Amino acid sequence: MVKRILIAGSVAALVAANAGEVAAQGFKPTRPIEFLVHTGPGGGNDLLARAISNIVEKEKLLPVRMQVTNKTGGGGITAMSYLSEKKGETHTIALFANTWVNGPLMSKEAKVTLKDLTPIVRLVTEPGVIVVKADSPYKSLKDFIDDAKKQPGQLKQSGGSIGSRDNIVRQLLMKNTGTQWAYISFPGGGERRAALLGGHVQIMVMDPQEAGEHLRNGSLRILAQIAEKRMASLPDVPTVPEAGFNIPNYLVIRGVVGPPDMPAEAVKFWEAFFAKVAKTAAWKKYLADNLFEDGFQTTAELVKFVDVFTEQARTVLKDAGVKIYR
Amino acid sequence: MEIFSGLLQGFAVALTPVNIMWCFIGCFLGTIVGILPGLGPPATIAMLLPLTFQMNPTSAVIMLAGIYYGAKYGGSTTSILLNVPGESASVVTCLDGYQMARNGRGGAALGIAAIASFIAGTFGVIMLMLVAPPLAKFALAFSSPEYFALMCMGLAMVVLLAGKSMVKALLAMLVGLWIAGMGTDLFTAESRFTFGQAELLDGIDFVVVAIGVFALGEVLGNMETREGVAMLPVPKGLRNLLPNVEELKACRFAFLNGSVVGFIIGILPGAGSTVASFISYGIEKAVSKHPEKFGTGVPEGVAAPEGANNAETGGAMVPMLTLGIPGSGTTAILLAAFILWGLKPGPLMIQDNPELFWGLVASMYIGNVILLILNIPLIPLFAQILKLSQYVLYPIIFGISVVGVYSVSDSLFDLSLLTFFGLLGYCMRKLDYPQAPLILGLVLGDAMERALRQSLMMSQGDLSILVSRPLSAGMLVLTALVLAVPMFRKANAWRMKAID
Repeated sequence: MVKRILIAGSVAALVAANAGEVAAQGFKPTRPIEFLVHTGPGGGNDLLARAISNIVEKEKLLPVRMQVTNKTGGGGITAMSYLSEKKGETHTIALFANTWVNGPLMSKEAKVTLKDLTPIVRLVTEPGVIVVKADSPYKSLKDFIDDAKKQPGQLKQSGGSIGSRDNIVRQLLMKNTGTQWAYISFPGGGERRAALLGGHVQIMVMDPQEAGEHLRNGSLRILAQIAEKRMASLPDVPTVPEAGFNIPNYLVIRGVVGPPDMPAEAVKFWEAFFAKVAKTAAWKKYLADNLFEDGFQTTAELVKFVDVFTEQARTVLKDAGVKIYR
Repeated sequence: MEIFSGLLQGFAVALTPVNIMWCFIGCFLGTIVGILPGLGPPATIAMLLPLTFQMNPTSAVIMLAGIYYGAKYGGSTTSILLNVPGESASVVTCLDGYQMARNGRGGAALGIAAIASFIAGTFGVIMLMLVAPPLAKFALAFSSPEYFALMCMGLAMVVLLAGKSMVKALLAMLVGLWIAGMGTDLFTAESRFTFGQAELLDGIDFVVVAIGVFALGEVLGNMETREGVAMLPVPKGLRNLLPNVEELKACRFAFLNGSVVGFIIGILPGAGSTVASFISYGIEKAVSKHPEKFGTGVPEGVAAPEGANNAETGGAMVPMLTLGIPGSGTTAILLAAFILWGLKPGPLMIQDNPELFWGLVASMYIGNVILLILNIPLIPLFAQILKLSQYVLYPIIFGISVVGVYSVSDSLFDLSLLTFFGLLGYCMRKLDYPQAPLILGLVLGDAMERALRQSLMMSQGDLSILVSRPLSAGMLVLTALVLAVPMFRKANAWRMKAID
């Protein structure tokens, strides 16, 4: 704890010394910005938030520092309820991810949804890949589906919690093809991969980056990619529709959200600010390094998108037999 | 030969003054993090990550790994002196370590913990170096049925942790299992036993329960004996502070047991050092000539778990470095760090970055020596704590506990939970319920339930999957044997009586 404060302090001093000016537009931050994430240190959104605050610091985009705060718990629900208590606040913003949409649908305890907060921008969309072990008999997604048809319920997929993209893609594929295979949840990415590499399950959905090294050494094979269009790094792998399965493209998204009733000029400021961040070379390099895609959406676009996205998740999860509370 | 030249290359990297300095900094920070309850290596490493961006990746990984294994050394200190587990893995060390301190052998307990840590830590590194690739394959052969059997084996240790009454031990374990079941169910996303509280969606943190039941329960219990007798005896002179020959002799098997068990369990992703320390403690007690003395302050009861939790570090590095698969929270963050530095963790990492792998291995040899040198002279210093009167000591324990729990989650809700578990620990003491089985149930319950349900999903509900696989069947047989031990003992005692 003491160390945490010490480190925060030294980082703060560093940032304060370097901070430059940003164009004023009615609202201007005057205090340090609390940048809230729902994962613990080292988690997906935590790394993203730290990368953003690094870029902001290096490019001197903000006159004050951005302090990453971790409010973990309940798959985002703790962070969401913390943010909802900051009504009208202009110096607290948060990074959201899919769980901010799906979590409240599945949880009785949740008190707010993403719509009750103030969505600001979408920053990132993450493609996925469907992989099998390199010595697997399946050479294409169709091979796997055909085999699943022959022996319903016998094949297995390892993945995360039931509300994750892994399961949603499975549900969409099963519905589209009238097949069934088992879904086995593991809490950690490492255990999921170990189950696949150990031959205990046949198929898995992964982040491209996660798969990258296993491809290079030849222990995994990609059957299809979950993306709007083929990723630059995987020009020869078909997308799921190209592989012959016309299912909607379910995105993994990350973006920025403010507390409820955030004043309009503050929303405008943050929208313009993140638009600027998204144009920096450092940000583009970060996206490329992590095999993310630029998923930038303005506030107006995002608000519409959240509705569609929530509805999509609700339908799929309901089909999957998950109890939906709202 | 390849290993030899690799190691030489590694020492060439690790012995540069800069890297020795980073190794020392890591070990030093780790020791402090270990001593502070609550704050663990994962959070520390994550917080220090931004500072390592400018560093050479090899130096950075040497430092961060130092924090990881250094914390294992430091974790025993508060367990032994204050009954406050400094790391989750050192909760088992409380059982005999704190009793040793109460018997006036606190310094010896600290010494044994440091020596066991050194031996097992070094063993872990040697094994990591020699057999990493084949062992990684072994880890992959482990699937959910094997994990379930492993957890059963762990849970069977309850019969060895029980005090006078087996029924009370089983009841305490059930409460632990129940607490482990709280929170959001991974498979269905339903919340269980959350009583409508969003704070309980992730269940209850193990640290909160362990500190409450052990540390606060102890303080509350001791406050009733008002005469100031709780002041712990401290022997004078350095020689009396360090472990003596008999104590070290008693630990001979424990050093080996802890090293092997810790390393093997470390390799398995998802088992963890707390499980390792429980199992090696159980084994130590099962083979002991005087099992009844465990829990009253026997040195091997400190050596086995401390060894296990240090050997686990070397084990956990095996799947991380050879497969890119993290086996614990800390290795997951180290992996994230590799990516940030532009390395590519995965099956080819060692091949592509030999200087990093061998530099890390060599630095772990050096780090273990540094930690031994760092820890032994500190013993007389730490032992001074025992001289404090209870009016000073108890508020300190209280303060450390509260700060420790708060530092994990920044949540006031957890502090009320801490109070609740403190009171529970107090009641358990009063009613003579052992605390260790509760912690055991809590540690294993979650993983065990998960493994069982995963197994049954794999077999479509067919229970025979648990016994039709040789590894899991073997472990289940072992479990049955462990459960039979006390029955044997009873039968034996009865036969002896009959013969008389």
